[in-house]
Amino acid sequence: MAADPSLVEWAEHRVQVGIVQPLAERGGSRFSRSRPPPHERRVRITRAALSRDKQGREFVPFSVDVRFGAGDWQRDDIVGCAYRASGNLFIQRGEAYFPAALLLGKKVEALPGACQAAATRS
Amino acid sequence: MRKLLALWGTRGFLLLMLLGSLFITFMSLPYFDFETLPPFVIEKLPLRFETVWLAALRIHVTAAALSFPLCLAAMTRASQRRARLHRWLGRFTGGLVLFALVPSGAVLAFDAKGGPIVTIGFLLSALIVAGAMVSGVQSARRRDLLWHARAMRHVLGQMSVAVVSRAMIVGLDAASVDPELAYVVALWGPVLASVAVVEWLSRRPISKRKPVEHNERIARESSPLAVMLPVRALPGPVARDGG
Repeated sequence: MAADPSLVEWAEHRVQVGIVQPLAERGGSRFSRSRPPPHERRVRITRAALSRDKQGREFVPFSVDVRFGAGDWQRDDIVGCAYRASGNLFIQRGEAYFPAALLLGKKVEALPGACQAAATRS
Repeated sequence: MRKLLALWGTRGFLLLMLLGSLFITFMSLPYFDFETLPPFVIEKLPLRFETVWLAALRIHVTAAALSFPLCLAAMTRASQRRARLHRWLGRFTGGLVLFALVPSGAVLAFDAKGGPIVTIGFLLSALIVAGAMVSGVQSARRRDLLWHARAMRHVLGQMSVAVVSRAMIVGLDAASVDPELAYVVALWGPVLASVAVVEWLSRRPISKRKPVEHNERIARESSPLAVMLPVRALPGPVARDGG
């Protein structure tokens, strides 16, 4: 499948609005043992084409890289996918994929089969 | 002048630690919101034993929120002048530390971010706290107040790591130090520094004291009269050591 610039733009925008901005607004809890919030985040669309999961739903995989201070970018701080039709975002924790609301503190369950391509298409 | 500096240094330290402890407690309140997950918990996911880990976290936070201020209170002259109050403070805090704070902390240590080096750091700190607490209780029971003060300083020293470590994490973040490295430095630095400072504080006055004065002091502290007359016997010797 050929790369689709509009798809990449759409996915980047979706991740910016759904994950990066809310995390930036939330900040981090100061004086805590949790990791300080990164100074910068960037979205990378890791496959500029639609994939389909076992239910036939189309998604775009993405990564969010982070940077602390003037250090190097740390890749794949968040890994997940954006569903084309619904706009739903999922993020990986361990082997499972959870709704991205997990990153904002919502208690959510993993969705089996989410973000997992059923078969490679060319 | 030196005594005055030491006195205000001790008071300043106790006050800073109290404020730090209260602030940590305030920042830990989200751990008790059962509907949402705080960032500290989210970044740990997935956990092998999530329910056990969350229970350990809540026990640890509660135990720390109570035991740290109580330890600080037990270090004040006001408490040491009231032997009965001091003993009960000690018993309650000692129980809390040995049966809640240390075991729950040990459980959390195994899932600490930063890997084995951080786990070992937390376990070492827990070992010092537990060992010093047991030793401090035993020495109080045999009225060895010098050893008691030294042991309890080690307990407080390791508890102060909670505040100092977090302050260092904030400082190192402001200096753009990589958070992984900052986390290790901000744990091991205060743990080892606390041991060194407590040992320095505990040994320094004794070596500088005249032998006769030191022997008299031990005799006075070991004397049954010291227990019968706590107001006369306790404030000077214990407070002079900052114990």
